[in-house]
Amino acid sequence: MLTTRKGFRLDGGPTPAAALVGDVWRARSVLAILARKEFFVRYRRASLGLAWAIVLPLVQAIVLSVVVSRFVRFHTGVNYAVFVYSGTLAWNYFSGSLSAGAGAIVDGQDMSTKVYFPRALFPLTAVASGLYGLVLSMFVLLALSVAVGAGVGLHAFLLIPALGLTILLSASFSLVLALLQVYFRDIRYIVQASLIAWFYITPVFYPLRAVGHLRPYVQANPVTGIVELFRAATVGTDPGWGVAIWWTFGWSAALLVLAVRLYRTYDRTCTDLL
Amino acid sequence: MISASRVSKRYVKYEDTPTLIGRLIRPPGRTHKSVLWAIRDASFEIGRGECVGIIGRNGSGKSTLLRMLAGVTAPTEGIVEVNGRVAPLIAVGVGFHPELTGRENVYVNGTVLGLTRRQIEERFDDIVSFADIGPFIDTPVKFYSSGMFVRLGFSVSVLAEPEVLLVDEVLAVGDIAFQLRCFDRMMEIQSAGTTIVVVSHNLNAVRLMCQRTMVLHNGVIRHDGDTDHAVSLYHDLLGEPRDAEAAEGRGEFAVEAAGEIERFDLIDGDGHSTRHVNSADEVSFFIDVRFDKPVQHPIVGFAVYTATGVEVYRTSTPWQGDGVYEPGTRTRFSVRVRPALAAGSYTAHLSLVNGTGASHTPVATPLMFYVAGRREALGIADLRAQFDVLTSQSADDPDL
Repeated sequence: MLTTRKGFRLDGGPTPAAALVGDVWRARSVLAILARKEFFVRYRRASLGLAWAIVLPLVQAIVLSVVVSRFVRFHTGVNYAVFVYSGTLAWNYFSGSLSAGAGAIVDGQDMSTKVYFPRALFPLTAVASGLYGLVLSMFVLLALSVAVGAGVGLHAFLLIPALGLTILLSASFSLVLALLQVYFRDIRYIVQASLIAWFYITPVFYPLRAVGHLRPYVQANPVTGIVELFRAATVGTDPGWGVAIWWTFGWSAALLVLAVRLYRTYDRTCTDLL
Repeated sequence: MISASRVSKRYVKYEDTPTLIGRLIRPPGRTHKSVLWAIRDASFEIGRGECVGIIGRNGSGKSTLLRMLAGVTAPTEGIVEVNGRVAPLIAVGVGFHPELTGRENVYVNGTVLGLTRRQIEERFDDIVSFADIGPFIDTPVKFYSSGMFVRLGFSVSVLAEPEVLLVDEVLAVGDIAFQLRCFDRMMEIQSAGTTIVVVSHNLNAVRLMCQRTMVLHNGVIRHDGDTDHAVSLYHDLLGEPRDAEAAEGRGEFAVEAAGEIERFDLIDGDGHSTRHVNSADEVSFFIDVRFDKPVQHPIVGFAVYTATGVEVYRTSTPWQGDGVYEPGTRTRFSVRVRPALAAGSYTAHLSLVNGTGASHTPVATPLMFYVAGRREALGIADLRAQFDVLTSQSADDPDL
């Protein structure tokens, strides 16, 4: 249990699931301050500061759309650059969370070997610190989709579940990967390699309808659901995104169950190997 | 407040750290791993407001025990229970980020130690003034001197008013003035009910702070009680394995071994072997040397170092003795000293050298001993200061 007023009691056995979740909940202020720290430290002393959090995905979307449109023309219904931006937004957050989250416990060993708070906080911090950038970018996306004539209606409220689902998915992946990374140091590199390939099977720069008979596979990709949900809220999307969202839920739930199982056993002892 | 019942901690050391591929392709049970019991069957209770020292050689399990009390790792067997908010000083400044200012780091560090934002705000001014950081509080800590960094980190931990304070060798850092302030502060919070556990090689600090001390040896608690007794047991234990190490392969310092040091010991005034001496009493160090080759005019060298390796004293026989030692003779060379030292651990070195300083024998393992100094003497040497107050003439004396 967490080092709160109540103290803790340690035996060799696994932590009860309720206590584990309770510990994480009670440590939410630690999570918040660490995430804040991580985010603001990243842009400190850069002259554009926080603006980079918005500028980088914009540049990425513009470059990607210019390059791709020289080879293929997708019928996206809206300005292609904005369409790509809506995809990179979700993808960048997800891949950024995984890259940072997978190494979080190992990288945080200065702290994790010295003072106890639930180890789950390390990957969660990595996931949470990206939220500032994501939320800022969501407003930019809204503004852009208005600018290109997609209009803002009630469907814009879908951004709220989109945000929630994105966090859920990124967190569940990061939680599992961070703990595995302690025991298997290849994980981080496997994640990096996978993300490169993963990008292309995610409908970031192409619409779901363009994949033809591969659609069931692309829908099963957990990231497809969040990309499509962001689009549903702004620039519009293809039918079939509902299926993708169920897949996203399924992946998240399965990984969360696995994460709880892993952390119950290894929460206290994983840093022995660091 | 703190209780440990039958606690054991096992570490698995992998000679080849398992990799993912290795795990998959190698048949199970073939990984080369060794098992280390860092703590074995430890049971104790520490009450509220107690200050307990933990001493032992490197690798005796002190840090592992402290880590379990901090909740950083769980025991393999047994139960550790801590009722209260723990501030570990295992490392000061946990989570300090070099780019952040002192102020920002205080908030991060304080939160990590379990304080709420409000509690930090309330204590903030105290923390800054205790750390003596002044205007630098809004400077990124990467520009801090190491002293400032440590002071700030320590201040947060101590002023967090934890119910349990774990101190790991941290008193060794910072300047003397700050150390004294920390010391006072710790005594203050202890009397206010904070439980303190101190792990240190600085036996003085332990002796000053703790009435009760545990001695750990190879993961086992060998003593739990009176500090003075603990300190002398610690020195007895220091001898054991080191002698074994020494017996294995020494002699690389001897140019050409002309003999062997058969015994290196310390005896008190009554002729009893001891490792625990009083700074006021005369004691003798001696070596018994067996000569295998003839040696002429050997010089006896004697040196004392502090536990941290500072040379305290070094001398050698003034005489180019006329002694000639034939093969087969056994001779005792002895040096009588009054160890006018402050309380602490020291090592003595005694050797038999020729005119160029080369040793006639394989060098004897330094002998570690503890000086029970006078409590008022701090530092290394006990110069036996006598204070006098001489009434001066008044300032408006016309003669001045």
